[in-house]
Amino acid sequence: MASIARSALLRQVATAGPVPRQVIASSSRALPVATFHTSARRNLLPPLPQKVEGTVNDPAPVPEPSPSHGSYHWTFDRLVAASLIPLTVTPFAAGSLNPTLDALLCATILIHSHTGFQSIIIDYVPTWRMPRVRKLFNWGLKAATAVVGLALYEFETTDVGLVETVKRVWTA
Amino acid sequence: MIAQRAGTTALRRVVTAGKPNAFFNTNIAKLGLASSSLSSTTQQTRPVATQHLTPSEAQSILAKQRLQRPVSPHLDIYDKQQTWFGGSAWQRITGASFSGALYVFATAYLVAPLAGWHLESASLAAAMAGLPVAAKGGLKFLLAWPFVFHATNGVRHLLFDIGVGFKRRTIVQTGWYLWGASIVGGLYLAFFL
Repeated sequence: MASIARSALLRQVATAGPVPRQVIASSSRALPVATFHTSARRNLLPPLPQKVEGTVNDPAPVPEPSPSHGSYHWTFDRLVAASLIPLTVTPFAAGSLNPTLDALLCATILIHSHTGFQSIIIDYVPTWRMPRVRKLFNWGLKAATAVVGLALYEFETTDVGLVETVKRVWTA
Repeated sequence: MIAQRAGTTALRRVVTAGKPNAFFNTNIAKLGLASSSLSSTTQQTRPVATQHLTPSEAQSILAKQRLQRPVSPHLDIYDKQQTWFGGSAWQRITGASFSGALYVFATAYLVAPLAGWHLESASLAAAMAGLPVAAKGGLKFLLAWPFVFHATNGVRHLLFDIGVGFKRRTIVQTGWYLWGASIVGGLYLAFFL
């Protein structure tokens, strides 16, 4: 019984012909697009001319997993940040740092700054949007860090050290 | 059995009279359908027409369609507490300004002998001593506040990383404590140390 009823229904649908166009148009017009926009449209970053990589049906590419650029890097970042805590607290407690610890503090701050700037570049200079600028910034940061490392070495070996300098300037 | 076979051979003869066909059985079915669909009412109609596209044509349609997508909403629509006073954003701002200042100072220190500047600790201390009290305090606060904020919020973020205090309510609460503590701490370092 059911199969007979179903075939009759199918036949009815099949013979009904296409749905009149006007019905579709009026029902979609009843859903105003404006209701989805609750704030004024602002073209903060208008989209660039679009380029499709691969074919239309390809999924978004997944980057190769690399622990040295992923979890190891993340853990290393946290270790550096955590090791800065005792190096920062000690001068307040002891009044000063010995030259070795002062040099260690400078080196750790330098690494912490470098990885911090690195994440800023990764976040705000996306490779897919400006690959050349990204490369320029990355190499610029490496050069700057090398220069600052040299400068900190000079400062630590010819002057009184970072903590002592801050102390003298602060109490001046 | 024999009658059946005679019927099949007759049918085969009729079909292969026009041209020989390897897919005999399937074509029998098709022929039956074709003859009946001409007159019957079960004929299917498909109002949607498909069109063959080359890959490059498909890509250009997709690229054009992507330009119609709405751009990400402006920061203004989000919760003020998160976007303007969020500890995460200010951690980056304070850290980048401190590290930026360090990079500028260190590079200047390296260039100083060539340019004839005096950036040794003694000259810096002397320059600081020469400033009026208000300027001295203001300058110290300008350095002390980001330092305290970055240090304390850094500890908070390290705790987040090991899963401590990472409830939504706690994050918002400690965020506000942090602002108070960093301002008080900055003022203390600037004026009472």
